[in-house]
Amino acid sequence: MGDVVPPPDGEHAEDGFPDAGEAVGRMRYEFRVTGHVSAVLAEGFPELDRVLAPRQTLFIGEVTDEAHLYGLLNRFRDLGLRVEEMRRLAD
Amino acid sequence: MCRPRAIHRHLGVVRILPARATAAEGGENEGGENTVVPSFGAAGAPLDPSGDPLLAAKFSVPAVARGFVRRKRLLDRLTDGTSGPLTLVTGPAGAGKTTLVSSWTRWGKAPGPVVWVTLDSGDTPGVFWTYVVDAFRRGLAGFQRGPIGLTGDIGTPVSAGSVDHSLLVRLCSALERLPEPVVLVLDGLDKVPDREVASGLEFVLDHAGPRLRLVLTSRVDPPLPLHRYRTEDRVYEIRGGDLAFTPHEAAVLLRGHGLVPGAETVGALTGRTEGWAAGLRLCALAMRESGDADGFVRSFSASEHAVADYLLAEILDAQPAATRELLLRVSILDRVHPDLANALTGREDAELILTRLTRANAFVEPIADTRWCRFHTLFAEVLHAHLRSRRPGLEPKLHRRAARWFTDAGQITDALAHAAAGGDWRYGATVAVQHLMVGRLLADPGAEGLDRLFSRMPPDVPGAEPALIAGARDLSRHDSAGCRAHLARAEHHLYRRGARPTPEARLTHALLRLLSGSYEQRHTGADGAAAAEEAAQHVGELMGRLPPFRIKEHPEIEALRHHGLACALLKSGRLDDARTAFAEAVRARAAEVTPLVRHQCLGQLALAEAIDGALTVAADHARCSLGVADQHRIPEPRRSGAGHLALAIVAFERGDVRAAIHHLDPAEALPDTRDDPMLMTETAVLWSRVELARGRRSAALGPLDALGPTPLPWPAERRAVARSAVALARGDHATAISVLDGAASGGPSRTVALALAHLSAGHTEAALRLVAPIDGSSGPPLPDRVRILLLRTHATMPDGDPAVTRALLAQALDAARPEQLRQPFTEAGPWLRHLLHRPDGPLGVHAWLTARPPDRQDNPILIEPLSGREREVLAHLEQMMSTDEIAAALHLSVNTVKTHLRGLYRKLCVSRRREAVERGRELRLL
Repeated sequence: MGDVVPPPDGEHAEDGFPDAGEAVGRMRYEFRVTGHVSAVLAEGFPELDRVLAPRQTLFIGEVTDEAHLYGLLNRFRDLGLRVEEMRRLAD
Repeated sequence: MCRPRAIHRHLGVVRILPARATAAEGGENEGGENTVVPSFGAAGAPLDPSGDPLLAAKFSVPAVARGFVRRKRLLDRLTDGTSGPLTLVTGPAGAGKTTLVSSWTRWGKAPGPVVWVTLDSGDTPGVFWTYVVDAFRRGLAGFQRGPIGLTGDIGTPVSAGSVDHSLLVRLCSALERLPEPVVLVLDGLDKVPDREVASGLEFVLDHAGPRLRLVLTSRVDPPLPLHRYRTEDRVYEIRGGDLAFTPHEAAVLLRGHGLVPGAETVGALTGRTEGWAAGLRLCALAMRESGDADGFVRSFSASEHAVADYLLAEILDAQPAATRELLLRVSILDRVHPDLANALTGREDAELILTRLTRANAFVEPIADTRWCRFHTLFAEVLHAHLRSRRPGLEPKLHRRAARWFTDAGQITDALAHAAAGGDWRYGATVAVQHLMVGRLLADPGAEGLDRLFSRMPPDVPGAEPALIAGARDLSRHDSAGCRAHLARAEHHLYRRGARPTPEARLTHALLRLLSGSYEQRHTGADGAAAAEEAAQHVGELMGRLPPFRIKEHPEIEALRHHGLACALLKSGRLDDARTAFAEAVRARAAEVTPLVRHQCLGQLALAEAIDGALTVAADHARCSLGVADQHRIPEPRRSGAGHLALAIVAFERGDVRAAIHHLDPAEALPDTRDDPMLMTETAVLWSRVELARGRRSAALGPLDALGPTPLPWPAERRAVARSAVALARGDHATAISVLDGAASGGPSRTVALALAHLSAGHTEAALRLVAPIDGSSGPPLPDRVRILLLRTHATMPDGDPAVTRALLAQALDAARPEQLRQPFTEAGPWLRHLLHRPDGPLGVHAWLTARPPDRQDNPILIEPLSGREREVLAHLEQMMSTDEIAAALHLSVNTVKTHLRGLYRKLCVSRRREAVERGRELRLL
């Protein structure tokens, strides 16, 4: 091969892009679910805090990445909980 | 999150619905006449590509619960929808999608026979299409007007992970020939989110012709181009809003449960549940069981709780203690069998309780004609949450019990999933080893499910079996060293005093030893090959100790045994034996069902042939190897670079350096090229030779220097010969000789290289003496034989008879010509050029030597010759005759012709008729 030298390890870290972990960052999300959700079902979401509101339950917490986000939405769906609203909270 | 949902299997019963079946017709009862009851894990039962028995219950139309509401507005819409190609039923869990389609199917207004497949989350693309093809096969075989010619032609996917595109083509063409419409229901498409499944469905929808009527039910919109279908008016949609119960329908539902609700109650419940079918059914149950219907309605309407959450908690608490306990405990399952439920509760009353729940039709739906029943997914999830909350710590124990029950029932995939979910790795590994799953882990690119299951196993689980499984997982990632470390751990347990290892564990261990090259540690060189032969024989003996049907169920073990032995022979430099062994491995019946092993064997066979100078067959086998990988969509990380490397060597030996570099790139991109000592060595040797051919002598040592030391004598010799060539090109005779002294074994290549170095140093006599014993024998590889002839040509030059010189050169050219082997002439040096280009030189006859190599001037051969009949069938294929016509022309049955077709497709490495004809022409069989 000779003329094609693979870049040394770690060179990609200097390509001007921030570290992957920082780029995505951790995001705080709020999910508004129809109706009051019991503590039993809320245990299915240990990473989220449950706040009861009139005719709604708010689930608030850190979402690691997109895969986590979709996983949470599926979990709500699997437990028959309807997500009315979802938003990312300002830091 | 550790519910083993991924791989759920259960057995049930097939029921084929005759076209336009009505309840009145022939006293159609739940039993039906067309029932087949497969036994648990019976040998010879049809298997899907992941090796599980095809589950008949997946083909049965789900029973409609008692008290269900016949909603004519929706049934009519389905009838409308199925007059077109695609009907999509979407809605949330519990909206009544499956109930709607199954009741419509039973209603008998379908435009033709209905073929049903219930999908599961473990269905990989290969499994998915196996079920679809088999559903058609079963459904249409029972079709009154006799066979439609769909069976046999289509074939089944070979690998679980993926499906061969040609299978979809064959399916489409079979569907196109249908005399009348057929409805295919795919129930629960959201459980199979794989893009490949969706794109396959899209292809089938586009090409199956107007008689296929597809009905999909899904909780989410499938990844099909729905927008395009809508504009083209090709999709009919029934969505969540349509499925919602109207107050009138809700009233019918409640009355069906023996309630007499007033309009106000109906309105309140419909409003609160928003017409959600499952919610209304739960309400009916709660009203009946609470004893105070009005009170329930009042508090439910007033409560602010989430509907499913509230209703389930309410009903769960209203159940007797035994029922509640059972509901909680079986929530770890997807499907419940009374015996399994008893195993989980430790009681005897599961059958009674489940029957009662089924009658009340709230939580549980029976699976037609079986003792199994199914929980609504949503209820199971909620009950599961209650289990965790109310019985903390119980869940892993339940999984362990379930694992044992499934093992006893012969349902190994389920058993393993539960063992993993319960963290019972030792048990799971033991079951996997006892059922010879290790071969599948290594030979089936679709065994990712199994691999993923054990990926969570901690490294320190004690016992032989966990070590064997961990070793197999390492080996499947080309990590032989890691595998050997685990094997050492396994050996410690297997062969310690007092241990009584099972034949399966011993076989697994012996097979892994053979494949990971464990014998190399103690034996090297010719010894290594002998040790491998012994190891392979040992594997064979252990196979003989198992019941023959077990071995028949696992053809991959025999395929891997052949492969392991052949690899060892190649590593020890026994090219002829390695070629024979690889060719045998490829030809073995087992290779057919294990495309991954076939791909690897063909690639290594090509490599051995390329090194041996059999360039034509090497190129052909290499292309075959790549063809197998593409045809079966073997994923990149499991592919071997051997085929590409063989093509690179062929191109280089024929004098096409650019093509060689072109083939080296994809070879180096594959993992085994970087890990396997043989492939690493041959890649570096070829790069070194390429650099020399490009005149970059200073760069030619780089690739060889980059290799670590090898304990294997043959790769060491190959490297030494390459180093010698570099030294010789630099005019450094002393080094050219001394690097060869370092090589321990004395193969012919080393002898030839040594002789060339001596000749170039002026020791002509010594050079001739060295090659004398091997000159003229057929032992050395062709390039070396040609080099010897050239060496002798060169030796005669200074003062010999010019006629002798010319005769020797002519011999060299004649030997090289059939394979178009140019490289030895190119690298021989300037003296040869003078000789060749003299006016009376041999180029007049041997113009090929300086001709630019065309893309494909080789004369391809078959790995396995076609039989006489197969040739005849091929000849008829060329005349565009159908299978029936060929059968008539040859006085054979259609099935026999199909058998011949399959045989010749396999031998020609093709999957379609046109390809077979093209390839037949290329091979001059036509």
